[in-house]
Amino acid sequence: MSWDSALPLFVLASSLLPGLVIFFLPEERVAIRTTLNLAGAVLKLALVGVMIWGVFHGSHYETRLPLLPGLDLLLRADSLSMLFVVLSSVLWLVTTVYAVGYLEGSPNRSRFFGFFSLCVTATIGVALAGNLVTFLLFYELLTLATYPLIVHRGTDEARRAGRTYLIYTIAGGALLLIGTAWLYTLSGTLAFTARGFLSGLDESHNGVLVVIFVLLIAGLGVKAALIPLHGWLPQAMVAAAPVSALLHAVAVVKAGAFGIVRVVYDVYGLQFSASLGVTLPLAIVAAVTIIYGSMRALFQDDLKRRLAFSTVSQVAYIVLGITIVGPLAAVGGLVHLVHQGVMKITLFFCAGNLAETLGIHNVSEMNGVGRRMPWTMVAFTVAAFGMIGTPPLAGFVSKWYLGLGALDGGQGWVIFVLAGSSLLNAAYFLPILYAAWFKAPPDAWLAERSFGGRETAWALLAPPLVTAFLTLALGLLASAPFSPLQWARFITRLEYTP
Amino acid sequence: MNTVPSALLLILVPLLPLLLVFPALRSRFSRPCYIALLPALILLAVPQAVSIDLPWLLMGSGLGIDDGAGRLLLAMSVLLWAVAASLLHSVNGKPVDDRLTSCFLLTLAGNLGAILATDLVGFFTFSSLMGYGFYALLIAGGGAETRRAARVYLVCLIVADLALFEALLIAAATARDLDFEAVRQAMAQSASPGLYLSMVLAGFALKAGIWPLHFWLPLAFRSFPPAVALLLGAVPVAIALLGFVRWLPLGEVRLPALGLIIQAMGAAAMFYAILAAAKRAQPIRLPACAAIFASGLFTTFLGVGLGDPVAWNRHGNVAYFLIVFLGSGVAVLVIITGWRRARGHYPTMSGKPVDDSPPWFERWSGALTRWAAQVGGLSRLCAAWRAKVGGLRQIRAWQRALHGSERFLQRWAYAITLFLLLGIVVVFAGASSWI
Repeated sequence: MSWDSALPLFVLASSLLPGLVIFFLPEERVAIRTTLNLAGAVLKLALVGVMIWGVFHGSHYETRLPLLPGLDLLLRADSLSMLFVVLSSVLWLVTTVYAVGYLEGSPNRSRFFGFFSLCVTATIGVALAGNLVTFLLFYELLTLATYPLIVHRGTDEARRAGRTYLIYTIAGGALLLIGTAWLYTLSGTLAFTARGFLSGLDESHNGVLVVIFVLLIAGLGVKAALIPLHGWLPQAMVAAAPVSALLHAVAVVKAGAFGIVRVVYDVYGLQFSASLGVTLPLAIVAAVTIIYGSMRALFQDDLKRRLAFSTVSQVAYIVLGITIVGPLAAVGGLVHLVHQGVMKITLFFCAGNLAETLGIHNVSEMNGVGRRMPWTMVAFTVAAFGMIGTPPLAGFVSKWYLGLGALDGGQGWVIFVLAGSSLLNAAYFLPILYAAWFKAPPDAWLAERSFGGRETAWALLAPPLVTAFLTLALGLLASAPFSPLQWARFITRLEYTP
Repeated sequence: MNTVPSALLLILVPLLPLLLVFPALRSRFSRPCYIALLPALILLAVPQAVSIDLPWLLMGSGLGIDDGAGRLLLAMSVLLWAVAASLLHSVNGKPVDDRLTSCFLLTLAGNLGAILATDLVGFFTFSSLMGYGFYALLIAGGGAETRRAARVYLVCLIVADLALFEALLIAAATARDLDFEAVRQAMAQSASPGLYLSMVLAGFALKAGIWPLHFWLPLAFRSFPPAVALLLGAVPVAIALLGFVRWLPLGEVRLPALGLIIQAMGAAAMFYAILAAAKRAQPIRLPACAAIFASGLFTTFLGVGLGDPVAWNRHGNVAYFLIVFLGSGVAVLVIITGWRRARGHYPTMSGKPVDDSPPWFERWSGALTRWAAQVGGLSRLCAAWRAKVGGLRQIRAWQRALHGSERFLQRWAYAITLFLLLGIVVVFAGASSWI
């Protein structure tokens, strides 16, 4: 096995092996567990760095292992997969640091970090999958690895949320399985191909292909939280903050959105999807999800629940971007995959800090919190403005390309959806900022913990500051080489250039 | 002439105040607000026009300053910000706090950046930064009435930014480049510039508080402390007027009908300001009336420019002088009224206002509900209470509807998923045997 064919496996193993070792570590071996976690995350990042450099310069990294007759387990690094791999690897490192600080002194940490590593392994597998069957395997593994994290606290509420999550995602996975199998019987191949592999099929299959498309999108839409399949996401916010960060920014929701991109781009092909007439209905579902999610967020007092509905709304931007047929909107959708992740993880880190340090869980309890935890609230403010789409932050770049793409594709109605969403985002984020910065703090906080003169622990404070800085840098330096925007343009060029 | 030091200076003008926003970075300096102005002051001393392209910034941006109008605007801003900085140490009689200084510096960065921006995206970015910074400045420096004014300003700002974002998208879809000159020319050649023009006019009119979109302006002048009121003319109003000049294809298009409408609106604004000043004899309100009058005058001039490109090309520079006049004139009025108030010539803001009821023409041009309440003989309190309760009921009804739909969707999602699963297994089995 050459270096080029082994590299995707090494990237997977960099989180899988530490995860497996951590499962068997006694609870009190904190130092070894933390070292293994961080070493795995840093090694993965280094390997991904090598990989992205190679992909940009035309190298092919592919691992092929026989799975079933005629079907291989295929891991392949292409431009699209690298976008997701880099996002997951960077955010995994940051989330690991945060989780180490967040779970300090709590029980069952070996179990938690074991599944945590497994979850990231599955996400990387989803990203690197070179065919639909490999994608499906890792997609299901992701479901199973995430469930123990959601129920980790063991409360009734957590178990209920876990049950809901499992019902939704297993049902979604079943739909995906049926769609995949059906597609294989029709086409005889499942390998992801630039501009799709179905356009050569006989026209008589078009009706069936539409049904399969619906199946695949319904299966993936569960994790992407498209309405009406989003019900599990607001319930899952009962999980610990690092898990929420993982669900909303790094792994689960993103896996669904990424899967939809794969199906539209590399299974059906964008032009063929449009010719089947399936992109417009999907765009409408995404638009409805955007507005509906924002409206629901508006009425939530629970901070994490408000953020969860915000995710429902924001992830739909990705789907909207790829279903407006045109290169500019595609750039907007793809770059939002990264931007939304960075912004949303910042918000969840901050929500976790408020809960852990002061016992704050609700928006109505946030009066004056900016004076007590200024750096946390600076990070929150940056990410919230990013979500609204204020320049020069990351969210502005996404909305810019989505809007331009809509005009370019002759779908002006999307502009109104974007404007409405921005307005609603402002309506549910700005009151939080006002309360935090300008209202008088209470005499005593609900459950204040002391961190020796600092606003909170370093391990809790550094991650949101890093991701808030990224939110600013990704917007401000959007046109710099190797920015997510430039990479999204690179992917789109490959998709649209014959 | 572009040299490395001049280019660095250009970047430092907005960057230094931005860095000093963080208390940790300015803790060593005793007067950070003055230090933040230093790069701008030095830039004014550079005799030539300077510009820099920043292709890596945002979607490709730039900063620059010319020999004429831009320099004049920058000079006025530096002067006003320096005076405001000297007043900042005592806002409402309280010693200045860190939050207020941070808001002050944030607004300053946006203000200077907007003057130096050479393209639409840069201008939009800096003016948004300035707007949100100014909102924070208002909130941080005032009491309950100030907060009410700030809330109205914030709503105007958000709606204005949305309108300008739409205009930006249209400009980007039409022009190959987003620097001011390229957009002006592209819009002049565009077959349908109407939507772009409407969005720009509405956006900046809201930001400048131009009549009849002046909701926040009278409130602002009535309640803000001197350091903030001093900046009202120079910061949100002047930069919005500058936005009109930079974004509109003035001197390139001939739109007589639109020009006439805008001229009429400008004249009406001036008339309104004169009436308001005559009715409200209190000198404390004069700066607000002056700002509305001056922005009306500017609007009239803008209308002339849209209707007659030749006249604009010949006398367009007058627009910059009007902006400078407005910014500095309002500031002078604020200083005079502040000084007279301090000398006890008329009641202070904390005392009971002499005449707090709006004049008749403002009531008539105001909200329909208020007018209906007056005509119907209902007390204003009752109308406001009803409106509030009605609003709450509406919100609760919305909440109930959304909660209901959420529960329904959840149930439906289970059902539909299971149904789909079952149905699809049947279809799949049938299809497999058929294939």
